[in-house]
Amino acid sequence: MIGADTPPPREHAAVGDRIVGILLAVIAAGAWWHSHTFVTGFMHTVGPGAFPRLVSIPLGLLSVYLIVRPGFNQRWPEHSALLRQFGLLVVLGAYAALLEPWGFLPATLLATTMLVRLFGANWKQAMGSSALLTVALYLLFEFALGIPLPDIPGMSD
Amino acid sequence: MAIFKRSVNGVAATALLGLGLAFSAPSQALPISECLAPADPGGGWDFTCRSVGKLLYELDLVENPVQVTNMPGGVGAVAYADVANSRADDSDLIVATSTVGVTQIAQGRYPSGADTMRWLAMLGTDVGVILVDDDSQYETLEQLLDAVVEEPSSVVMAGSSGVGGWDHIRALMLAKAAGLPSDQFGGMRWVQFDGGGPAVTQMMGGHVDVVSTDLGEIAGFIESGDVRVLAVLSEAPLSPPFDELPTAASQGYDVVGYNWRGFYTGGEVSDADYATMVDTLKALYDSSEWKTVAKNSGLEPLWRGGEEFSAFVRESIEQVEEISREIGVIQ
Amino acid sequence: MDILSSLAHGFTVAIEPQHLFLVLIGCIIGTLIGALPGLGPVNGVALMIPLTFNFGLAPTAALILLVSIYYGCMYGGRISSILLNIPGDEPAMMTTLDGYPMALKGRGGEALGISAVASFVGATIATVGLTLFAPLLVGFAIRFGPAEYFALFLLAFATIGGVTSGSFTKSFIAACIGLLLGTVGIDPVSSVPRYTFGWYEIYSGIDFIVALVGLFAISECLFFLEDTRHGSKPRIQVGSAIPGMKSSLRCGPTIGRGSLIGFISGVLPGAGASLGSFLAYVLEKRWLGRKGDFGKGDPRGVAAPEAGNNAAAGGALIPMLSLGIPGSGTTAVLLAVLLTMNITPGPLLFEQQPDIVWGLVAALFIGNIMLLILNIPLVGLFARVLQAPPWFLMPMVVLVAFVGIYSLSNSAFDLYMMLAFGVLGYIMRKLEFPTVPVVLGLLLGGQMEFNLRRAMAISGGDWSILWSSGISIGIYAFAGILMIAGLVYGLLVNQRGKLR
Repeated sequence: MIGADTPPPREHAAVGDRIVGILLAVIAAGAWWHSHTFVTGFMHTVGPGAFPRLVSIPLGLLSVYLIVRPGFNQRWPEHSALLRQFGLLVVLGAYAALLEPWGFLPATLLATTMLVRLFGANWKQAMGSSALLTVALYLLFEFALGIPLPDIPGMSD
Repeated sequence: MAIFKRSVNGVAATALLGLGLAFSAPSQALPISECLAPADPGGGWDFTCRSVGKLLYELDLVENPVQVTNMPGGVGAVAYADVANSRADDSDLIVATSTVGVTQIAQGRYPSGADTMRWLAMLGTDVGVILVDDDSQYETLEQLLDAVVEEPSSVVMAGSSGVGGWDHIRALMLAKAAGLPSDQFGGMRWVQFDGGGPAVTQMMGGHVDVVSTDLGEIAGFIESGDVRVLAVLSEAPLSPPFDELPTAASQGYDVVGYNWRGFYTGGEVSDADYATMVDTLKALYDSSEWKTVAKNSGLEPLWRGGEEFSAFVRESIEQVEEISREIGVIQ
Repeated sequence: MDILSSLAHGFTVAIEPQHLFLVLIGCIIGTLIGALPGLGPVNGVALMIPLTFNFGLAPTAALILLVSIYYGCMYGGRISSILLNIPGDEPAMMTTLDGYPMALKGRGGEALGISAVASFVGATIATVGLTLFAPLLVGFAIRFGPAEYFALFLLAFATIGGVTSGSFTKSFIAACIGLLLGTVGIDPVSSVPRYTFGWYEIYSGIDFIVALVGLFAISECLFFLEDTRHGSKPRIQVGSAIPGMKSSLRCGPTIGRGSLIGFISGVLPGAGASLGSFLAYVLEKRWLGRKGDFGKGDPRGVAAPEAGNNAAAGGALIPMLSLGIPGSGTTAVLLAVLLTMNITPGPLLFEQQPDIVWGLVAALFIGNIMLLILNIPLVGLFARVLQAPPWFLMPMVVLVAFVGIYSLSNSAFDLYMMLAFGVLGYIMRKLEFPTVPVVLGLLLGGQMEFNLRRAMAISGGDWSILWSSGISIGIYAFAGILMIAGLVYGLLVNQRGKLR
């Protein structure tokens, strides 16, 4: 966890644990139920459904225990932080989607600029460092490690 | 310093040549640059890919080293699905397969049938063996099969295929030849390991009694004397150094179980590219180097290519389907 | 005597200038690959195979290069574990538990120093073990049948409560989540797809590297973004590695125990380095009970898993060389390389190819010493990297992870999956669930299940096979003792607390 010497704010018997407990109990029941659709025909002493069922039993029991006796949770971040976190996921999701259609260099340049901004740098720092990172990564993977990265469409061959 | 510099250039060059082609988008005819082994490294399919890939490069049939990719799972089903879904027109890709894969298709265990792919060629064939540990109580195939017929659950058999896979079917065919009625097949115990090697080492550890698998993978254990061969499932005795091993037929059990090794490629590869790939493999087959590699690894060189091979695959599928139904693996 | 003369012969092979140079290159490349989140020893070794072919390296030279990379990766993985709380590869996962807290306290250099020494000792003990006991250990390893493997995996999960200082319930829940995720994909035994819901991308299962990087790297970034405006993440002072090397003397017994445990898990095929470092950490924590400061920056919490995973790496070479069966992903790749070069590992390899075997062993000794020495300048280098402002450092880590994962599969799907694991990891950590058991479940669950199913196939459905051998009873007894000892000790400490 962040900050081992300054313990983060925690809540006891937290509602978060109860929600997760319910969710996991549902997942355990669903996994149990769905495992019965794993059918094999012939001569399996222990079929493909047995192990998932074997795991879903303790998962279900422990989730119920968690609902009854929830433990500690950390406090959730404020709105502005949630927004930044959401931003990170959007930028990275878009990066994953654009990596192949745009090619490595433009997609990475854009994603890095946005990321560096998100982590609190100004535009000038963002532009400079993202250019540096992009080129360094390109050289590292493409040449030093020999892993080909997606080319810009129309620029290969 | 000079050495260092050269090797850095070498790194870059290798990187670009060795891997670059393997991943670049192929729509036009490219030489074979990637071999997909639908199993973990070390097994039969992996070996097929690696030895054929290496030879293709050494014989200058391809310009660059052939990249071997491992994609294990579902006895080849994962790779089959992947090629069908995303690489159906990759004309630089070959995928290793064998009787084992075709058996899976025949039993409907792959996501789609044989027509999804274009079948390139077979280059050689491995042969089934029945092994016991060197201090096992079973000295002959007859002793073993008598014990099986008397009490099917008394013998624990193992191999690299799952229940109903080719290694298992070959063992069942022997039991059938020995007179075990097919309604008792379910009583025989079969254990699947990750390959012939692990199955043999588990047998040496006393965890299973008999191993039914291919000769090539476990030839080292035969040469070192750690295991005893009760039968090879070939029509005639093998060529040296395995010429001393008794065939099942010579002991009165008319069972033959080969395991050929070959390749397929995606179903949307054009006729011209397909013909080029078959020709490349034919050139490999005709070389004396391939004959040596095949012999060293317990394979008998055997060629079937192009349309002849496709027809052969369809025919084999029908045969395996029939055997599987007969012994109750499929309904 | 026979072994010593063979080893001496091995050293004459290994100290040829070309081989020495390859060891050096291998160690540097390996450390780099190991330190990059997402790329681990399996990829490191696999990536370098085309290189060895293209240079036309002789089998001995190729093997020396690849094994140096393997050992280098095992060293490198811990660097980002300690300094960034993001494991460079999966065996280095356990090192985050105490390594990062140490770094937060300004003892990062010390942690790196201790882990370097622990890695060195672990790897050296394993190499000595490989030299002396290879044939003997093979005899021991083949006595492990499916039932014994199942017992071993059960031991790992029975002790999982000891991983973190958090709640037992939550640790076990996390392990169950990992085990359940591990069943996703086509079942290799029956070819039945499980929990795939028609998504062909997960037919081959959930890649644990994707899960690992998501759970650690992405969730770390999400945590960072929580408080970037007011008082950002503490700047980590690395310091020098030298004092750590000295203070590792005090961890001597820990390193010894960790090496032994790691070595044994390495020798057993299928168990591997992750299990080695995990068991080394958990057992060390149990051994010292509450006396230690585990989870909050105890140096022994760094020494044990690092000794364990490096020893396991060496141990895993034994079944690979002498039985031809791989004990881990990396040795599987090495095995494939050997086969391609027409060398069949197996019972006869030691007799037929002494040059290769003993040259390799000698190269391992040399590589180990090189890695230890390389560490001093490398710590300084990484320390300087960490002096970069966080707005540069964090995007860099995410990007390396992203590109690393993408380069393995060339699929954007894995990247989305990694983001999903990042969110999962963030929520879990917020709710004080440990994330390590998820990865362990994913990593070990498959082998655990198949060995259970194999055991049941052997016995024809009789469950008593699971406890019918001395080895498995011994393992269960050990697991039981550990669990009871942990509980009793916990109760005692609690009561004393109440009395006060």
